[in-house]
Amino acid sequence: MLSYVVAGLALGAIYAIAAASLVVTHVSSGVFNFAFGAMAFAVARFYYFLYVEHGWPLPLAAVVAIGLFGPGLGVLLYAVLFRHLRLRSPLVRIVATIGLSVALPPLVNLVLGQLVNVTAPGLAPQPVAVFRPFGTVVDMNQLIIYAALSVVLVVGTGLLRYTDTGLKVRALVDSEALTAMSGVSPTRVSLGVWAFSALLAGLAGVLVAPTAGLSVDGMTFLMAAAFAAVVAARLRNLPTAVAVALAMGVVTSVIQRYLDADSALSAQIVPSVPFLFMLVFLIAHALRGRAGDAPAGGALDRAIRAEAAGAPTATNRSGFVAPLVTLGVVACLPLVLDDFWTGLTGTGIALATALLSCTLVTGEGGMIWLCQITFAGFGALLAADLTANSGWPPLAAVLVSALCVVPVGVALGLLTIRLGNLYVALVTLTFGLLAQNLVFLRDRFYNSGQGIYMPRPEWALDNRTFALLALAVFAVLGLFVVNLRRSTAGLAVTAVRWSEAGSRTLGLGIVPVKVLVSAVATFVAAVGGGFLALAYQSALPDSFNPFTGLVWLAVLVTVGARPVVGALVAGVAFAVLPSVFQTYLPTRWAEVPVILFGFGAVMLARNPEGIIAMHARQLRDLSRWRQSRREPAIAQGDLA
Amino acid sequence: MSATSGTTSPRIEARGVTVRFGGLVALDQVDLSVPPASVVGLVGPNGAGKSTLFAVLSGLLAPSKGTVLMDGQDVTGASAQARARRGLARTFQHPELFPGLTVREHVVLAYRLRHTRHRIWTDLVTAGGFRRAPVDEDRRTDALLAALRLTAHAHRPVSGLPLGTSRLLEIARALAVDPGVLLLDEPSSGLDARETDELATTLTGVVADHGVSLLLVEHDVELVLGMSDVVHVLDFGVKISEGSPAEVRADPAVRAAYLGADHGEERTSA
Ligand SMILES: Nc1ncnc2c1ncn2[C@@H]1O[C@H](COP(=O)(O)OP(=O)(O)OP(=O)(O)O)[C@@H](O)[C@H]1O
Ligand SMILES: [Mg+2]
Repeated sequence: MLSYVVAGLALGAIYAIAAASLVVTHVSSGVFNFAFGAMAFAVARFYYFLYVEHGWPLPLAAVVAIGLFGPGLGVLLYAVLFRHLRLRSPLVRIVATIGLSVALPPLVNLVLGQLVNVTAPGLAPQPVAVFRPFGTVVDMNQLIIYAALSVVLVVGTGLLRYTDTGLKVRALVDSEALTAMSGVSPTRVSLGVWAFSALLAGLAGVLVAPTAGLSVDGMTFLMAAAFAAVVAARLRNLPTAVAVALAMGVVTSVIQRYLDADSALSAQIVPSVPFLFMLVFLIAHALRGRAGDAPAGGALDRAIRAEAAGAPTATNRSGFVAPLVTLGVVACLPLVLDDFWTGLTGTGIALATALLSCTLVTGEGGMIWLCQITFAGFGALLAADLTANSGWPPLAAVLVSALCVVPVGVALGLLTIRLGNLYVALVTLTFGLLAQNLVFLRDRFYNSGQGIYMPRPEWALDNRTFALLALAVFAVLGLFVVNLRRSTAGLAVTAVRWSEAGSRTLGLGIVPVKVLVSAVATFVAAVGGGFLALAYQSALPDSFNPFTGLVWLAVLVTVGARPVVGALVAGVAFAVLPSVFQTYLPTRWAEVPVILFGFGAVMLARNPEGIIAMHARQLRDLSRWRQSRREPAIAQGDLA
Repeated sequence: MSATSGTTSPRIEARGVTVRFGGLVALDQVDLSVPPASVVGLVGPNGAGKSTLFAVLSGLLAPSKGTVLMDGQDVTGASAQARARRGLARTFQHPELFPGLTVREHVVLAYRLRHTRHRIWTDLVTAGGFRRAPVDEDRRTDALLAALRLTAHAHRPVSGLPLGTSRLLEIARALAVDPGVLLLDEPSSGLDARETDELATTLTGVVADHGVSLLLVEHDVELVLGMSDVVHVLDFGVKISEGSPAEVRADPAVRAAYLGADHGEERTSA
């Protein structure tokens, strides 16, 4: 028993370091760092590069990687990204750090080389010394982890409590405007905070690598687990975060004592522990009504913030020409390309349908749902199950399963209706991770990674017909979304998004509007998932991983989260570009499109509209400018 | 109008409304009523509790004690949207506009919520987003925009509108639901003298033509005293005076409250 607690405390201590890093940056700069896992990976990979690949002495490698490279990365990222985020809307803040989390790991792999299944050393000298106090086993790595947490806590508390900088950080928490006015430079303080939190990220990454693996997945899992502790701490209370993190580690470890290590149940439950923790705390917060967005300083801060929060300066009632041309071009692709590329195009169009749900829920409704991919997965698995195991016709199965998934989305919508943006993002991500662990990985669906066979309709067996079929479905759903946007429902959705008080006092209830958005978005996502399964001819649980969902979102916002054709372009680009790079460039460049998509989302920090919207506006401006030169009198007043 | 009840019950009424924020008593046993087709003024120094009373009346804030009635019926437990459907509309001290919509769309949405509410759902199946707006909707929307001098801005998105224009738009949006009672929180701040005069004329016209009742919170005390039939004065959450503009003007308690506040003297004593 004691040995389980000892191991659990080590795991919990790593969670705690990660949680501390997340809390510190969130509290002091208002940015919830979804790129934490990516930063941890970058530092841990660099440490491996120095220590193992170049044979540097351990202490030197550790100091250079964790003590110099980590903080340097933090400072760099602050300068190019986080600095711009403070006054952005929650949506942009979240999506930009998600973009970073998407771009950074492949970039690191591109520079330092891809690793497959390596055993990463921790900070303990090899071979790892083992001690046996009180009839239990503790190894050097674990001792170092305990020591690291203690040092972090002592130093961190000391810095916050007793130094001038700590005072400034705490002032910053209350109000950036006031801090700025009273002469303390928020920039210098924020720089310090990001350097420190990047150091913690690196430390956590290096410490977790021996047990979780030196992989993006391992680090991202660490981050997601730390999220739970951060949520328990209501995003700001450091001692609570640390305590909950330790408790999670211990529970995760002790629970294994009672589960058969090889059983399917254990494989599902053990990785789910942090997310179950998070769910419990979220429900508790929501019930007590304490899960709104953290109040943002005083009136002055709110005024500044509202000004910069990315409120649209132009409404998009764009014309029909550009969308129709895009649709036409995509429709031609299957007719001119060979079978391989036509297959990829079909997959891309199916993906576009799933992305359309993000267009609806995030682009239109302003809600940051990170689980659209999970709904797509539900749609795919259910449709495949109905087709393969119950003999339904494939298209009917897709339609019916999509309808069956709708209540899940609506329930989630109702559950999160009173939550602030950030909490909604976290809940939906957690929901996705839980669904992944508890549903998608079940043998019945997972089938050793092959998923469930999903036949296409007999008249659409070939890739060309299928691509055109998928495009037709996309067009129908796209038209539905355009109609929704332009109709009374669209006005209502926008109204609720921007001012609940304003909407309610007009007689517009929040609940029906949000239910409408989540129902339609869930349906569209599930149809998209069904078509993805048809495209692959199999419902592959692995392709509906929530972290892939983050990449989906990055791609979509890069192209533009509001225009309907944005989803189409994003879907096709996402499916086709990697193969283009793979076919025509050296293999190691295959990940470059993902890096580009990630940075595209990062660029949102500077330009909250997305690429398509930005270029469309530039084109419009240009043509208006030319027009105004021709007929200066008419063009004057009309800004429509 | 009030044929059903015999006596005319107030459009909206607060009885013994108390609001506490932690230790702070923002409203203490406040009574206030707005009879049909009348203008009631509410004044008081900063922090007196005027906006808090608006929040209680409009259903955005539940009072710690007391009741709210509309047309004689208890609506204390009713949601803001339910009260809006009963004919209550309001504006906000800090305008609550929808930055994703144009000026005109604000008014269109409000109009539809009142007159063709079903369209939120039916538009989805009848391709309502692609059809032209019905004639009476266009006519009413354009008339409201014209009345509040917003026509030039009609197709602009609302972010970046000057404060005064935002207020006018909030009023247009509120009027588009054809309210029975309209609560206005500092409608004239951000407007210049000429715009304030125009607004007063428009509002007086609305009361005269459509029988709308107004409850008016204003820092411009002269505007309130000039327009109102009855004026209530709040100070630190307590109602210290109530009566016709002339009575309130002469009330020594009111003078004392405003002298105590840092900037009110010359306004009340003018
Ligand atoms: N949500 C809240 N939480 C705590 N205190 C509040 C809240 N809203 C208002 N108050 C306090 O209640 C009191 C009344 O505020 P209110 O906004 O109603 O005043 P007001 O008369 O509208 O003032 P002003 O003329 O400045 O608009 C003030 O002291 C204010 O600080
Ligand atoms: Mg006020």
